Amino acid sequence: MKKTAFILVLCIGLLLAWAVQDFPAWGDPKSPASSSPVASHFIANTGVDTEVPNMVTAVLADYRGFDTMFETVVVFIAGLAVFSILRGGPKSRTRDREFVVDFEPDLIVTNTVRLIVPVIQIFAFYVLAHGHVSPGGGFQGGVAMGASFILIALSWDLKTALARFPIERCFTVAALGIVIYAGIGLLSLFLGGEFLDYAHLAKIFPVSPEMARYHAMLGVEIGVGFTVTAIMFALYASLSTDGRMRDGL
Amino acid sequence: MSDSIVWIVLFPLFGAVACALGGAISKKICYPVSVLSMVATVWVSVDTLFQAIESPIHEISYILGGWSLDLFPRGVGIEFRADLLGALIALVVTGVGLIVALYSKVPVQRETPGKEPMYYGLFLLQISGLAGIALTGDAFNLYVLIEVAALTGYGLIALGTNRAAAATFNYIILGTIGASFYLLGVGYLYLKTGTLNMVGIREVIEAHGLFDSPAMQVAFVLVLLGILIKMAFFPFHAWLPNAYCHAPTTTSCLLAPLVTKVMIYVMIRMVLTVFGVEFSFESTWWTEFLPWLVVVAIVCAAVMALAQREIKRMLAYLIVAEVGYMVGGVWIYNYYGLIGSVFHIISDACMTLCLFLGAGIILEKCKTTHFNGLRGLFSKMPLTMIGFFIGGFSIIGLPPTCGFFSKWYLITGGMVSERWEYMITLMFSTMVMVVLFFRLIERIHLAVDESGKNLGKGHGDLGLTKQQTRFDEAPLSMLIPLLLAASVVLLVGVYNQEVVDQIEVFLQPFNLPTGVKYE
Repeated sequence: MKKTAFILVLCIGLLLAWAVQDFPAWGDPKSPASSSPVASHFIANTGVDTEVPNMVTAVLADYRGFDTMFETVVVFIAGLAVFSILRGGPKSRTRDREFVVDFEPDLIVTNTVRLIVPVIQIFAFYVLAHGHVSPGGGFQGGVAMGASFILIALSWDLKTALARFPIERCFTVAALGIVIYAGIGLLSLFLGGEFLDYAHLAKIFPVSPEMARYHAMLGVEIGVGFTVTAIMFALYASLSTDGRMRDGL
Repeated sequence: MSDSIVWIVLFPLFGAVACALGGAISKKICYPVSVLSMVATVWVSVDTLFQAIESPIHEISYILGGWSLDLFPRGVGIEFRADLLGALIALVVTGVGLIVALYSKVPVQRETPGKEPMYYGLFLLQISGLAGIALTGDAFNLYVLIEVAALTGYGLIALGTNRAAAATFNYIILGTIGASFYLLGVGYLYLKTGTLNMVGIREVIEAHGLFDSPAMQVAFVLVLLGILIKMAFFPFHAWLPNAYCHAPTTTSCLLAPLVTKVMIYVMIRMVLTVFGVEFSFESTWWTEFLPWLVVVAIVCAAVMALAQREIKRMLAYLIVAEVGYMVGGVWIYNYYGLIGSVFHIISDACMTLCLFLGAGIILEKCKTTHFNGLRGLFSKMPLTMIGFFIGGFSIIGLPPTCGFFSKWYLITGGMVSERWEYMITLMFSTMVMVVLFFRLIERIHLAVDESGKNLGKGHGDLGLTKQQTRFDEAPLSMLIPLLLAASVVLLVGVYNQEVVDQIEVFLQPFNLPTGVKYE
């Protein structure tokens, strides 16, 4: 079995190596991907079309915003699936833990976390809000935000974190994030454009169509941030307790 | 509405979010919300199909975000394209989704009590993903939607019985490998063409003559390998039987008719639209090789189906065999084979739905789908059994069910291309299906047990008490969808010419060989 697997891997490897001879040279500005009109359009027109200085965010949240909407949905699905599978599982999971963790939260740790958490959260907001100007965005900001709640759960216990962010509210917030994203798209649909055509938002907001794209990108990033924050924490809470939502790490 | 094409994806998406949000308040609203959103989805997909039929170029294009397509190669924004093939598949997906949503009331309450909001959320997102796959015109967007469909599928399957978790883990591993192969292939495509738009990629291949480029050939192999794993083509089928067997009833009813079929659609889309006929069939070696693999696939799957003693597991192996039919229909490379393949996607979705709905009812009423527990079911649930057997007859290929006509085109295709091995395999597999279903009919109608011993006392006696054969039909919320599915099987069969006409309009521009050369 191992030998067959090895031969298969070798075959695929040789196939991939064979394809490399046909690749454009490393960093070649004339390669199809770099010189294609699509890439050139992104480079030349991002500023004109959207007024967003960060090209990557413009591609992610506007030119290919539909992909990103479904990536957010994928995050939502992951949380939903893990939560629903683990919750109320078979009886065997309720067995006693091998060791009982029963001690007071450590003074040094909790006080350090008390200081750090607000900083992390403000930094998360910064990353999220500056996504279209500098590197960052909804996914990164959301992960930092979610991590702050996980840090609370790790340094006190899960109950303390759940008191601040109950598991039911996680899914409400996550769904809300998708509603924000798809809702912005829908609004532009109702205003006479295509789905996710943010420029049409200029009809109801006192900005130019380009600035409407700029602001709508911030809007969808906020939606992404909501979903990612909530699902990050929900995944941690579900997985660390086998879905029981008590004890935990 | 001119936007109906994007609403096909949005209605289930918003339905899912409504289930997740509203379910926190009251779990009772989930079922009506999902049925309503499915009704709306079917409505817009019918509308999209008619728009595509009426449009002069037989396709509608919708650019998300309103970006222009004037560049060459196109591909600045993401495009949704509904040609006749895509619109037909989208209608099949949403139609099956509606029927299963209607059916889901009783089984979901029994099998996943308290988890309805999550269940219906995943259910609707699954339909959103699959319908999106059928409509998207962008190779990377296709990957994202495949991920949506796959992840919801894992969640929906893992909610089943105890062994479902292990089966899902298998499925996750294999599904992820398949998706990675596809993604790697798309990466190679972008490297060589500089666009992700499906039509754009083909335009670049034709304009720059990339037919002999090694990177493009490897890209094709990777994409094809990924899709073959995802569609459970024979050597890669290992995830399918356990996953569909241990999944909750509603899940197997939704996934079994759709997932593998949609992946075959993706293969046809890749072959015809992305790589183009010339690249896929004429400049390469796999057209000789794949039909033989198909022969092995169909024979093995049919024999394994014969070895099963449980309805759901038997049906799962039947799906693997049917996948072989459709892959073969594409790779024998001619006009009739492709008509057969596309038509078989539609008819196989209908008949597999019919069979799984029937099996779900049997499981609900008898608590087992093992062959031993079937005796006397016809007197107990005559309507369910009629619906179930209409699906069975369609799998065998008896007229006037739709299975007969699609198989007819597949066999014609094999004959025209002089692929006798494929034709003989189809005939062999038809014989196996006859054995499978008539054995079931015997179990249900006659008084013989597993060893062939007669348990009854004389004519018409099943060896059961009055109590056991008392009329006890399934609840209406399950029976009506089954009969609906059965009538769709018959209607698609009777009106097969109308469906085939649309498929022919779609296939005409590709100049496939029709094989008439004896003049």
